[in-house]
Amino acid sequence: MSILMMVIGAIFVNNILLAQYLGNCPFCGVSKKLGTAGGMGAAVTFVATLASVITWLVYHHLLLPLDLEYMKTLVFILVIAALVQLVEIFLKKQSRALYDSLGIYLPLITTNCAVMGIALLNIKYDHGLLETTVFSAASAAGFALAILLFAGVRERLFLSPVPVAMRGTAVALVTAGVMSLAFLGFAGMGQ
Amino acid sequence: MNFRQALTHGFWRDLPPFRLVLGLCPSLAVTSAAENGLGMGLAVTFVLVFSNMFISLLRKVIPDKVRIASYIVVIATLVVLVEMVMKAFFFPLSQKLGIYIPLIVVNCIILGRAEAFAARNPVLISMADGISVGLGFTISLGLVGSLREILGSGTWFGMSVFGESFEPFGLMVQAPGAFLCLGILLGLMNAWSRRRGEIFIQT
Amino acid sequence: MREIGRLVLVLVVICSVSAGALAWVRDALALRIEQQSDFYVRGPALERLFGRPAAQLLNNKVMVDMGGVSYPVFFTRENGEVSGLAVEAPGHGGYAGDIVIMIGLDRARNQMLGVEIVSHGETPGVGAQVEKEAFRQQWQGLSANEATALRGEGGAIDAITGATFSSRAMVDGTNQVTALIKEHQEEILALIAAIPDQAGPEVLP
Repeated sequence: MSILMMVIGAIFVNNILLAQYLGNCPFCGVSKKLGTAGGMGAAVTFVATLASVITWLVYHHLLLPLDLEYMKTLVFILVIAALVQLVEIFLKKQSRALYDSLGIYLPLITTNCAVMGIALLNIKYDHGLLETTVFSAASAAGFALAILLFAGVRERLFLSPVPVAMRGTAVALVTAGVMSLAFLGFAGMGQ
Repeated sequence: MNFRQALTHGFWRDLPPFRLVLGLCPSLAVTSAAENGLGMGLAVTFVLVFSNMFISLLRKVIPDKVRIASYIVVIATLVVLVEMVMKAFFFPLSQKLGIYIPLIVVNCIILGRAEAFAARNPVLISMADGISVGLGFTISLGLVGSLREILGSGTWFGMSVFGESFEPFGLMVQAPGAFLCLGILLGLMNAWSRRRGEIFIQT
Repeated sequence: MREIGRLVLVLVVICSVSAGALAWVRDALALRIEQQSDFYVRGPALERLFGRPAAQLLNNKVMVDMGGVSYPVFFTRENGEVSGLAVEAPGHGGYAGDIVIMIGLDRARNQMLGVEIVSHGETPGVGAQVEKEAFRQQWQGLSANEATALRGEGGAIDAITGATFSSRAMVDGTNQVTALIKEHQEEILALIAAIPDQAGPEVLP
């Protein structure tokens, strides 16, 4: 039961992007088309879940026993960078089409605050291994949901008469603000 | 670009996060109060200046294949240093900034400037670039933070601005307010740019 | 082959320098960080529990181990006897992780003085209401070594409406404290006895 609460909380109440501000750079950069947004969402979900599990294992079985807790920032980012490289190599061989469609956005997942942020949040909330997996997958799914919704809106916005000064990123941010407002309505759900 | 350009371009032409569309996460996350925004900006500036310095120093030594990995190690080391120094000397601020301090390591500004500038320019000019982009970022964060704090809490750096009867626009210190504030500020900057006749592409 | 050798060498050198620099800074700052953490995070809670300035209380600290977790225990002395204890425990099961509480204990009456919240991540307006005086008052006078529970679950604590998880986390933390006191009382007193009496309040001429 509490696992379900955690999932709902992670996707809606504390949406990683609209409530916790993580993952904004790709949000504004990739969300112009539904197709790329979907691909990015899926890629981030995969990398974030895997990265969180690996960083959790490294933290609890390597850093804590050796009293190296303060190194977690450095170690985590290296794990994430290595993971993204591996995913890149894997995709290049196995699914060339997906690799091409993601383009330069795949290496950019390394600097996606959402991936690192989720890994750090798992430590902050002191999750167990199963909780980590569920929380990370759910949070990243929340990111994917937000980015998909956003892309849908932006495709429409592209054809609308927006004032020149607001075109592009400016109106995108305002749109994100309205979406964030909508998600604010979920606060307190599940207590 | 020459030294003077490097020292000034971060303040308008390449102002993060508005012109140089990078570093959006902290711009939204820590700007609920002016003090937090300023503190974060200064932390980022510190990391930026020294990462540019070290990467520029090592630019001829680091082989191309391990370029990104090396940059990440350098940047992450500086961020961990900042983390520890903040906890030791600015504890309340470090509590307020929370996980966004370690998240400086994925702040695209730092890796972006390292790749685009420090990797191919001498040390002093790289540091100048770091100073201007970093301080520009600090000013942006301070501005957004001030706006959100004044409208959303009625205070500025903790000091009450409007007095007792002011009913704060509470939304401003929450997530929607952050997005709206940033979007509208960007729109205003674009309008100002157009009036000045600057050729400016913002997509 | 030479190229790979160079790649590895550069990375190893950079990583070593980095690790060395971090370890050095960490050793230099570790103590100060702990002091700052105590002062800002636990200090206010201690002040409210005992009504004395934090600076007088923070040095009176021992760490007690129970079930692999280290619990900070602060104490007050009066006339050479341990008059009060403050135990910090992480209450599990909150909506957003642990709620860290500090429970003040009156040793003379073997009762709780009250509970203070050290840190939490609960939702404002919902779970964060555990901070409210009206809710926390229920802890005053509770027995120092008996477990407690929410009223709907056989105990005496009225949960906050709509914040069951948060209320339950408070109870969980409380029960950890009572278990600690019950099982480790002798050990705690022995550890405290090893700490010399600090200079008390100003001695007036």
